Amino acid sequence: MKQKKSKFANNLRKYRFEHNEISQQELANRVGVTRLTIHSIETGKFVPSAFLALKIAEFFKVKMEDIFYISK
Amino acid sequence: MKKFLYYITIILGIISSAFFVIDYFIFYQLRPKMVTFELITKGEENLLLFVGVGLLVFLLFYLLSLFKIASYLKRAKRITAPLVLLTTVGVLAFLFVFSDFALLTDIDKQYRLGLAQPEWSLVYPIMMFQFIMAIIFTYLHLYGFKPDNQIKDVAKDHNVFLVAQYIGLICGLLGLVFTSLGFVFHRAWNLHLHTTISSIILLLPYVLIVVYWFFMKFKEESGDLYDEKQIQDVGKSAFVTMAMSVFFMILLFVFNYNNLDGMVRVLWLPFYLFSTLFIFSATNLYYLKRG
Repeated sequence: MKQKKSKFANNLRKYRFEHNEISQQELANRVGVTRLTIHSIETGKFVPSAFLALKIAEFFKVKMEDIFYISK
Repeated sequence: MKKFLYYITIILGIISSAFFVIDYFIFYQLRPKMVTFELITKGEENLLLFVGVGLLVFLLFYLLSLFKIASYLKRAKRITAPLVLLTTVGVLAFLFVFSDFALLTDIDKQYRLGLAQPEWSLVYPIMMFQFIMAIIFTYLHLYGFKPDNQIKDVAKDHNVFLVAQYIGLICGLLGLVFTSLGFVFHRAWNLHLHTTISSIILLLPYVLIVVYWFFMKFKEESGDLYDEKQIQDVGKSAFVTMAMSVFFMILLFVFNYNNLDGMVRVLWLPFYLFSTLFIFSATNLYYLKRG
C-alpha cells in the first residue's frame, strides 16, 4: 500500500507575532541564521535541522513540537 | 577610519572627474598628431604619463566605491534592482580602467610602429561612461547611501552572498561570451592579451566580492561560513554545476577531436572556468530566490 506523503509544517509566524511581533531578521540574529532561512522555514520551503528547530523553540520558550509538526 | 575613508573617497571622486576632463583635452591635442604620425614632443609624451597617473586614481576610486557599495549592501533592507545595477555598472567601470590601460598601450605601440590606431574609437565612449560613473558615485557618496535604508544588526549575512552570485553570473556570462569570440575570430586571437589578461580581468570582480565576503565571515560571531539553508543551496548548485560542466567539457572534447591545433587547445581553461562560474551562480541564485 502506498504511504500518504506527510509534510513538515510550523507555527513560526504565529509565534513571532505573539512574541512582540519580532521580525524575521531579529529572530534570525538570535538563532544565528540568515533572514532568508527564517522566511524559507515559515513558507515551508526549507526544513530546519533538529539543532536549529531546538534553538528556535528555546528562543520562544516552548517545546519544539509546539512550533514544528508533521501535517498529513 | 571610516570617516577618513569617506573623505578620501570623495576627494578621489572629485580628482577622478577632473582627470577625465583633462584627459579629454590631452587626447584632443594628441589624437590628430598620432593618427597622422606627426612627431610628438617630449612635453606631449609627459602628458601621456599624466594620463597613466589618472588611471591609477580611477582604479583606487572605483575600488573604494565598490567597497562602499558592498558594505552598504550588507545592511540593505532589500536588494533592489537599482542596487544590483549600480554594483554591476560599478564593476564595469572598474574593469574598464584595465581596458583603458590596454587600449592606450596599444595606441602608443601602434603609433611607434606606424600603424593605424582604430582603438581611439573605443577610448572615448569608455572614458565617457567612466566619467558619468565617477560623477554618480561621488554624488552617491555625498548624498545617496542613506542609513535609514539599513538594518541595524545582521548576525549572519545574506545580502553580500546574494550579490556575489549576481556578480558571478555577470562575470561568468561576459567571460563565456568573450571566450566564445576566440572560436569566431581565431586568426586575430592573441593568447596573452585575449585569454590570460582578459580572463584575469573578468574574474577579478568575483574574486574581490568573494574576498570581501570571506573577510566579513571572519568578523561574524558564529564562525560558520554558511548557514544551513545556504549550505544546502550551495550543495545543490555544486551538483548541477558538476553535471553540466562535465557535459560541456565532453562537447568541447568532441568538438576538438580532429583539430588538435585548434583554438580549444588554449581556450578550454577559460571556457571551463567561466561556464562553471556562470552555472554555479545561476543555480545558486535560483535556489536563493525560490526561498
